[in-house]
Amino acid sequence: MRYLITTIFLFFPLLLYSQPFRVPSSNYTLECGKYGGRLIIPVTGDPKSFNPILAKETSTTQITSFLFEGLTRINPQTQKVEPNLAQSSQTEDNLVWIFHLRKGVRWSDGKEFTSDDVVFTFNDLIYNPQIPTSSRDIFTIEGKKIKVEKIDKYTVKFVLPSLFAPFLEALTQEILPRHKYYSEVKRNRFSFSMGLDSSPQDIVGCGPFRLKKYLPGERVILERNPFYWKKDKCDHLLPYLDEIVFVILPNQDTILLKFLDKELDYMSLRVEDLPVLGKRQKKDNFIIYNAGVSWGSMFIVFNQNPGINPYTKKPFIPSYKRKWFRNKRFRQAISYAINRKKIIDVVFNGLAKEQFSPLSCANKLYYNPNVKKYPYDPEKAKRILKDLGFKDRDGDGILEDKEGHRLEINFFTNADNSQRVVMATLIKKDLEKIGIKINFLPLDFNNLVTKLTSTFDWEMILIGLTGGIEPYFGKNVWSYKGTLHMWNPTRKPLEKWEEEIEKIFNQSAKILDREERRKLFFRWQRIVSENLPLIYTVSPYTLYAIRDKFGNLHPTVLGGAFSQIEYIYLKR
Amino acid sequence: MRKLILKRVLFSFPLLLGITFITFLFIQIAPGDFLDTLRLNPQVSPQIIDLYKKKFHLDKPLIVQYFFWLKSILKLEWGYSFTYKAPVIKVISSRALNTLILSLSTIIFSWLVVFPLGILSVIYRKKFMDRVIGFFSYIWISFPTFLLAIFLLYLATFVKFLPLGGMRSLNFDQLTKWGKFFDLLRHLIIPTLVLSLGTVAYLVRILRANLLEILSSPFIKALGARGLSKRRILIHGIKNSLNPMITIFGYQLSGLLSGAALTEIICGWPGLGQVILEATRSQDLYLVMASILISGLLLIVGNLIADILLAWVDPRIRYERF
Repeated sequence: MRYLITTIFLFFPLLLYSQPFRVPSSNYTLECGKYGGRLIIPVTGDPKSFNPILAKETSTTQITSFLFEGLTRINPQTQKVEPNLAQSSQTEDNLVWIFHLRKGVRWSDGKEFTSDDVVFTFNDLIYNPQIPTSSRDIFTIEGKKIKVEKIDKYTVKFVLPSLFAPFLEALTQEILPRHKYYSEVKRNRFSFSMGLDSSPQDIVGCGPFRLKKYLPGERVILERNPFYWKKDKCDHLLPYLDEIVFVILPNQDTILLKFLDKELDYMSLRVEDLPVLGKRQKKDNFIIYNAGVSWGSMFIVFNQNPGINPYTKKPFIPSYKRKWFRNKRFRQAISYAINRKKIIDVVFNGLAKEQFSPLSCANKLYYNPNVKKYPYDPEKAKRILKDLGFKDRDGDGILEDKEGHRLEINFFTNADNSQRVVMATLIKKDLEKIGIKINFLPLDFNNLVTKLTSTFDWEMILIGLTGGIEPYFGKNVWSYKGTLHMWNPTRKPLEKWEEEIEKIFNQSAKILDREERRKLFFRWQRIVSENLPLIYTVSPYTLYAIRDKFGNLHPTVLGGAFSQIEYIYLKR
Repeated sequence: MRKLILKRVLFSFPLLLGITFITFLFIQIAPGDFLDTLRLNPQVSPQIIDLYKKKFHLDKPLIVQYFFWLKSILKLEWGYSFTYKAPVIKVISSRALNTLILSLSTIIFSWLVVFPLGILSVIYRKKFMDRVIGFFSYIWISFPTFLLAIFLLYLATFVKFLPLGGMRSLNFDQLTKWGKFFDLLRHLIIPTLVLSLGTVAYLVRILRANLLEILSSPFIKALGARGLSKRRILIHGIKNSLNPMITIFGYQLSGLLSGAALTEIICGWPGLGQVILEATRSQDLYLVMASILISGLLLIVGNLIADILLAWVDPRIRYERF
């Protein structure tokens, strides 16, 4: 059956290459638009809250990102930081920063935005030990807080405990109004405020839109924030659109039907939708954009944990297996044995790229194109294994190591992600070709995470992580002290290069010069690609289908299909 | 009758205690917990996860947690949902009405259709009509609901009148009172059909089999011998074949608020089923517990209602038990 599916899938790419999609250029200027109109977007789940400090999952942030803004923002076009609610900043030593806030900015309830709100957001929310927010981790530098003080109504002073290079990137943190939530914090109720049951008047932000209505399980309606500060180049107040409607539709097929029926203005494409949608673009008035590869990554990781299970008093994995996994050459052999091109064709209909660096090549600032690459070469993989002393000693087609242990590995991935399961099946086939026996088992997501982060009883896992523009924020994965340093959770370095990566990440926080940082992160990517603690696989393209009646559409992976939402308008 | 109700109510307490304890146990001993998604986020530190654990009492032993829950439930506090960061009762009540509307419309529709179809297939037994009804019954019994839902939605793209999922149109707020009612009705058609076709087919088969069995029993022959009209005989037959149907009806009542996750997901119906499914998968403990408790209660109440109805319909049961 699986072969049948594979063959069917293999023929799809042939059909696809004739389907054009638009690759948005990053060279554009935003034109003056017209007022009015409504944008209807499907989302697959309800938001979990309207609180941008507490809720960070995409179902929430895709809505709150239109409601709140930060002192700085990252320009989706250039991927560089630019001033937002803060108009300018000055610093002499990069430790004491003075921010001059934009005057005349108003909250969505009409009250003025001042330095009190900034001080409140940092001192009463982010640094409040009662509030569980991951923002606190970002703004805690070497265990110390940043001092945030008000100087006058429009000026705030930040005093950093030590140099922190991604400071301006971190300041994209959403600011919340003091006048609205101060009493909630005082009553220690903030962790449960701005929930889904709050009335729209209680969700106050500085973003281009504000909440109009929420119908659980049905839709979230945002309306134009009449107090929004930004103007277009014709001196008209933004945003142009009157309303954004998020329709909650958990099923992708329903979304497809509704999109074709013109009930929706947008859909995020699965590769299997392309054959249906590709040829209907002209007739049904929409355009498919290929925004480039996504930020996340998918990789294989081997358990190198030398620890002993405190309950059974046995090692987490047999010591002979650990010996294989800790060998860099062994991991390289695995990487050579994976046919990434086939994964791209079978799983992603040709719409993905091979990935060898820990950073996605969507990252314009830090991606290193010259890392060590592992093109598909099963012969080379076999040679390496032979050099390492693996040989088929009993003639059953499966290799054994010098001590006679069968090269047999248990392989997990999360079962809820069907793409990943097919990928894992292909990888299993590839590895069996070079004589490794793979016992593949898709597991429940929670079960997998438990194995990865607390019980450590796993050998080989295929999993993914989300990524961002600033590599430093992946420190939890790369520092051997980090909680997501999954191949070695002992908090102690096993190899020289782990210490070196640790050094690079610590340095990268202190070095402010962009070129210097780029060099550092280039070196980190090279070390990772050489030593392969994580064996990267492929990164898929992100495809959006959007009705052609909208202007100023410039989709990017960073900003999504509607990056710079305030400029998007309805053409008539 | 009063004795029966009292007995049932008393018996329901240990039953509910058992149901909730077992559920609690299973959610808790299943690997992982609600915080796993946070654990895999590179930007979340272990301190934050510990803070969450404390906030939701997840750091206490299992039994202690259960008694925490039991204590609060006796005070009618349902606890907090981890995912929605809101009281469970608010999460459930925001959806309960939608689910109730869909379940009621399904029950009403299916029972309205079952009797005529069942009786028709008995009257025209082994004739064309019976064959047609039988044929479609078997198809709908074996048709998976999610496939049926997608299929009906696809058909609806050709019928402008039928909406493609959802519960209300975008302009719902601007409609008049009757406009709102018809808008809702329009949106109910597909999910109701999806949910009831399988049940209808199944119930028609049961009714037919029952009715046929009753109609061949000696007392019907006796009635015929006394010269009763065919119609009167049939009415007596239907009355006597009601018992198993009533029991099934009781079970249906228990499902009033449990929702139908798959159908809801595909038809975009904002019901409880989706929420509960997601809660179970992400181990949102108190939300799952609340839904189990509600279903348990409804099961007990539904069965009670069925028993009362049985006693009311069938004098034999009435005289035996009370």
